[in-house]
Amino acid sequence: MSYFAMAALEVTLLGLLGGIAGTLIVVRRRSFFAVALSHATFPGGVIFAVLGYNLLLGQALFAALLVLIMTLLSRVPGQGRQVASGVVLALGFALGTLLTSLNPGLGVPVEALLVGSPLSVSAADIAATAVVLVASLIVTAYFARRVLFHTFDPVGFAAAGFRAWPVELVVVGIASAAVVVAMPAVGAILGVAILIAPAAAARLIAPRIEWVPPLAAVLGVASGLAGLWASRQFDLAAGGAIGLATTLVFIAALLWRRLARGPIQRVKEVVKAKEATA
Amino acid sequence: MEVTLLEALQLPFMARAFATIAVLAVAAGVVGLGISFREMEFVSDGMVHAVFPGLVIGAAIGGSAGLLPGAVVAALAAAVIFTLLDRRGGAGSDAAIAVGLTGLFSLGVVLVSKQQGYAAQLQDLLFGHLLTVTSAQLWQIIAVAAIAVGIMLVTGRTQLFRAFDPAGFEAVGFHPLRTDLALAAATALLVVAGVQALGVLMVVALLTVPMAVSRLLTRRLGLLVPFAIAVPLATGGLGLWWSFMWSIERNLSVSPGALVVLLLVAAYLFAVAARFVWQRRGSAAAA
Repeated sequence: MSYFAMAALEVTLLGLLGGIAGTLIVVRRRSFFAVALSHATFPGGVIFAVLGYNLLLGQALFAALLVLIMTLLSRVPGQGRQVASGVVLALGFALGTLLTSLNPGLGVPVEALLVGSPLSVSAADIAATAVVLVASLIVTAYFARRVLFHTFDPVGFAAAGFRAWPVELVVVGIASAAVVVAMPAVGAILGVAILIAPAAAARLIAPRIEWVPPLAAVLGVASGLAGLWASRQFDLAAGGAIGLATTLVFIAALLWRRLARGPIQRVKEVVKAKEATA
Repeated sequence: MEVTLLEALQLPFMARAFATIAVLAVAAGVVGLGISFREMEFVSDGMVHAVFPGLVIGAAIGGSAGLLPGAVVAALAAAVIFTLLDRRGGAGSDAAIAVGLTGLFSLGVVLVSKQQGYAAQLQDLLFGHLLTVTSAQLWQIIAVAAIAVGIMLVTGRTQLFRAFDPAGFEAVGFHPLRTDLALAAATALLVVAGVQALGVLMVVALLTVPMAVSRLLTRRLGLLVPFAIAVPLATGGLGLWWSFMWSIERNLSVSPGALVVLLLVAAYLFAVAARFVWQRRGSAAAA
């Protein structure tokens, strides 16, 4: 397969994964968690690059460690809800920068870790994305009803005798795995763009909650491929082009919602009123 | 060779680096109060990313002299965008902030990729250069930080009212949007002040961690800001000194900015541990 075909395949898989992981992150309001995690996993990649092992493995292990730290820190009483994510974010970047500065002749380009390079994804990266996609589909299918129940009525969920931690674990696990596999293609900073933006856009325009995941997947694949095409056509950094394309989709959804709630709604009402009088 | 902190500070570049840290510590302590009370950590992270395209555009237009104006314009624009996004509230506001953050950063990456020397320039903007802050840059940092602190001092009382009693604040007839915009502008200016020295990646630590440490150490409102200034000042001095010592003794090239931030995070973890011990003692004494 050519580099471009591999990149297109990886972006398509990530777009589909965004349908599940992105929806979970957006609906359960874990965006800052996902952003902090993806940023802070950067030193994991640097460490494994220095040691000469697989980058993805290093980032996955480091992400697991960070999730543990964040879970512990979020239990510290007397501080805001976002502090744990903020501290982990600072830790990750500083550690990554320190390690980079200690190893000036690093084999891996640092900017590739940060902003990604879709055209250099390997078959192993694609396989990892596919595995995470299939696993997320299976787990979400099994837990879907409980996740929905807990998201929209946590008190009722507890009263019905369910335990909250399996749901939290499923959500955090899927979100973290998605962030990690997105990294080789779109990097530590923009990795969340392809996951969150299509789902946030889908949430704005979907008529019902069950429409959000498929809509997010379609928007994610379309905007990812559009970004990839634009990067080749106009000679732009591919990670940045994909991030920009997903943002444009979100802005379009925002405008569509404004129109649908405003002028279009009014036109419909006028038409209805005329039909009623006729 | 053993060098004390005072001797190291007699070197002009070390003195400038320490002065930068001191100015940023004061500004971060004052503005951090607003960020912490209003839970704006994520919004401030958004502003940090949003400054990036401003830096790229500024550098493209005016070279290194264009960095600051570009950053100020981008940061203030981002302050307005993120305040409006955050105000919408509801389930979607944090996702909207995440999209704005990645979108603006993507714009910066795309713009920088169209230029010559892409990788080197990107690294400089991302990682900062604490030790090569020029005296002109230091004056810029002082000016921008002073405006940020000034905004907080002028609006301080209304900010506190808004943070502790939002309903009463509106009932008395204050404008929430105006107060929110003032706080966002102060945050944006602090980001601008810190970004050249610490880089896009690490300035977020300055916005969130000092006040997080301070709130763990004390519950008295009057002590929050002094503690939040003292902590980065101490870790900043220590970080600078260590990176200097390591570079002359062991010939290691340590990023001083990264060391300062790591020490700041260490101070936070230490404060968490101290608080747990203190609470145990308190509950044991009460029993």
